[in-house]
Amino acid sequence: MPNVHFLPANRSIAVEKGTTVLEAARLAGVLIESPCNGAVVCGKCAVHLEPDSLHHIIRRGVHHLSNDQKLAGQVLSCEAEVIGDITVLVPDVAQEDLKITSHGHALAVALAPHVTKEFQPDKGVTAVFHGGEIAYEEEGDTEGETFGVVVDIGTTTLVVSLVDLNTGMELAHASALNPQSRHAQDVLSRIRIACEEKGLSEMRSGVIGEINRLIGQVAGEAEVHQDRIYEVVFSGNTCMLHLAAGINPRSLGQYPYTPELTGGCWMSANDLVLTIAPKGIVYLPPIISAYVGADITAGLQAVRLHEEQGTVLFIDIGTNGEMAIVHEGQVRATSTAAGPAFEGMNITFGMRAGQGAIERFAILKGGDICLKTIGNSPATGICGSGLMDIVAELVRHGVINKNGKFVSPEDPVLLPLLAERLVKIDGKPAFKLTDNVYLSQKDVRQVQLAKGAIRAGVEFLLRHTGVNPVDLDKVLIAGSFGFHLTAESLVTIGLLPAETTGKIEFVGNTAKSGGKAFLLNHNSRIEVQRLVQEVKVVELANCADFDRVFVEVLSF
Amino acid sequence: MSADKETLYKQLADAVVDMDEDQAVATAEAVATAGLDAYEAIEKGLSAGMERAGQLFDEEEYFIPELLMCSDAMYAGMDVLKPHIRQDAVAEKRRVVIGVIQGDTHDIGKNLVKIMLETSGFDVTDLGRDIPPASFVQTAQEIDADIIALSTLMTTTMDGMGEVVRQLNDQGVRDKFKVIVGGGPISQGFADRIGADGYAVNAADAVRLARRLTSPEVAAA
Repeated sequence: MPNVHFLPANRSIAVEKGTTVLEAARLAGVLIESPCNGAVVCGKCAVHLEPDSLHHIIRRGVHHLSNDQKLAGQVLSCEAEVIGDITVLVPDVAQEDLKITSHGHALAVALAPHVTKEFQPDKGVTAVFHGGEIAYEEEGDTEGETFGVVVDIGTTTLVVSLVDLNTGMELAHASALNPQSRHAQDVLSRIRIACEEKGLSEMRSGVIGEINRLIGQVAGEAEVHQDRIYEVVFSGNTCMLHLAAGINPRSLGQYPYTPELTGGCWMSANDLVLTIAPKGIVYLPPIISAYVGADITAGLQAVRLHEEQGTVLFIDIGTNGEMAIVHEGQVRATSTAAGPAFEGMNITFGMRAGQGAIERFAILKGGDICLKTIGNSPATGICGSGLMDIVAELVRHGVINKNGKFVSPEDPVLLPLLAERLVKIDGKPAFKLTDNVYLSQKDVRQVQLAKGAIRAGVEFLLRHTGVNPVDLDKVLIAGSFGFHLTAESLVTIGLLPAETTGKIEFVGNTAKSGGKAFLLNHNSRIEVQRLVQEVKVVELANCADFDRVFVEVLSF
Repeated sequence: MSADKETLYKQLADAVVDMDEDQAVATAEAVATAGLDAYEAIEKGLSAGMERAGQLFDEEEYFIPELLMCSDAMYAGMDVLKPHIRQDAVAEKRRVVIGVIQGDTHDIGKNLVKIMLETSGFDVTDLGRDIPPASFVQTAQEIDADIIALSTLMTTTMDGMGEVVRQLNDQGVRDKFKVIVGGGPISQGFADRIGADGYAVNAADAVRLARRLTSPEVAAA
């Protein structure tokens, strides 16, 4: 059998002929970023092969790699099949460079945690209460040390924060890449992997291991004993909660998309293998539907959407645009398949918000362009916020027309400096951002599809509520992503209706801030449980003319 | 007269490419009034226009909305011409059964492929969405289809496509049909793995693929 040697991990494995490099890596326990899970659509799992090794593979397709990359010995690990001994150089996963938003808007809640403690001097023990009921006793006086943790299990990133339940103060927070994202970036691929017992167990232990590491890190930083952490609140989308709790998510991936887990419940930390107090508990907030998860429940709590007097729209922009609207006290929610374009996937030079990603972009008066990259390093790609800015600016300056098409470089309305940047790459139009990074026509189409999906969701929420865009008093944009966006770009590209100009607010990571509210106030959980039961879910799959509306909102 | 005919056909094609429904109807009426062969007018006028629209889509000139507006113009012209088609002029159409595989309800892509196939002269039976593999197999046999076209947007449901191929094999009828697949998570590699006959990256590509697979040489092979 051919031998595959991975560098820099320096691990080898013998595999059957015809095994892909990606499969070999998984067998060898080597991580290769493979956001689309080997479906050969994302083009992000490129690895470098030694010149001799190139004769020992068969490339199955020609997806996504430029000629330069191919000449340099790069192959896509998911489509390169091994037929002889090879040496593979795997690029580093640059997780420390990721930009993660850990702060979020939240209204203050009264300090009334679910877990409370009381020292009983006569017995010399401290009683631990769960929701006012005595749960167990601990030796000695530990009253002063009562801590809790909020974990925002994002599809891409994990954010853990340690909170003092006696004071309500956040003591420390830490974040990291969700290790599952190396297997598959998108939720559906993860569901597919986790349908199998082995996949589920890998997904679960991966994320729990990383959460434990982060809990250890924040506890160390705040000099807190981990066994004085009594409760953990998990916030995250429906699939992430299933995976963390070890529940098979299969039903989420099949119509009628029913969650197995409905949340609003506790699990034992011991069962979940979380390293906190031995009898610690984990609270899973109520889940609204398969694609409107506990992260949105937490968001509703954080912004107190149900208490808004006017008509307010709340959107979490991600791979699934999850959204809710309140009008006359009634909350409606839905989600749309926006796809991963805003996370930098499916875009020629798309990347996550890491070092070198273009995150802001503007066209200056004379047609000069101005771009800002993360870490101010040379531009290597485009992240979601940069992508929105770029497309919005190009639309504003007539480089992209209403239909989403690049205009001809000869178009007289174009500023000469911009016209120069309109080039052909492999015979297809593209806009040159730097010498190495460009935006292709296909990328613009991906943005149209993504923003069209979210906008169509907004339109149906408005329609089911019986209000018009002009009736919206406020639009709240949540998600770590929201902070990096400019409101004008959202309106210019038509992700939001023009009538929302001046009404847009960014509320940050409400999955985390709402989760913290749950941790600090027991009553907020009871309240939200009632609220979730009253939320009306608008299932877009059952909206007859979704097609037509979606197509209408594709243009700029 | 012949020049007139060619001019009218070209006008029909242009009306489709220009997304001009009114022009398509007006020209179709002129074709009917002139007593020209309606079937030929559809073939060489409207369908030719749709083919050009498909090319523009491939070249990234046109996007989904434009393609749909082109097909609106095409259908408007067809409605005028259909009653004038002489039965003897009609060539046997290739038949396609299409649908979104079980578990998935996302059907925009499937609808586009259906429109493109129909406007290219295929006779399309649309099963809809969330369709069990067995229904594809059964319908394909019932209508004596040439092609089974499967679509999905969700990674979680793509295995159902392989199931269709398996059932065709089990029933010993695999050779009777060409199976083509497409959708967000689908790739040529996936198509090869499940033993499908082809993969199309978009609706225009699906037409090319369907034509190629039903061309006399391939069909005989």
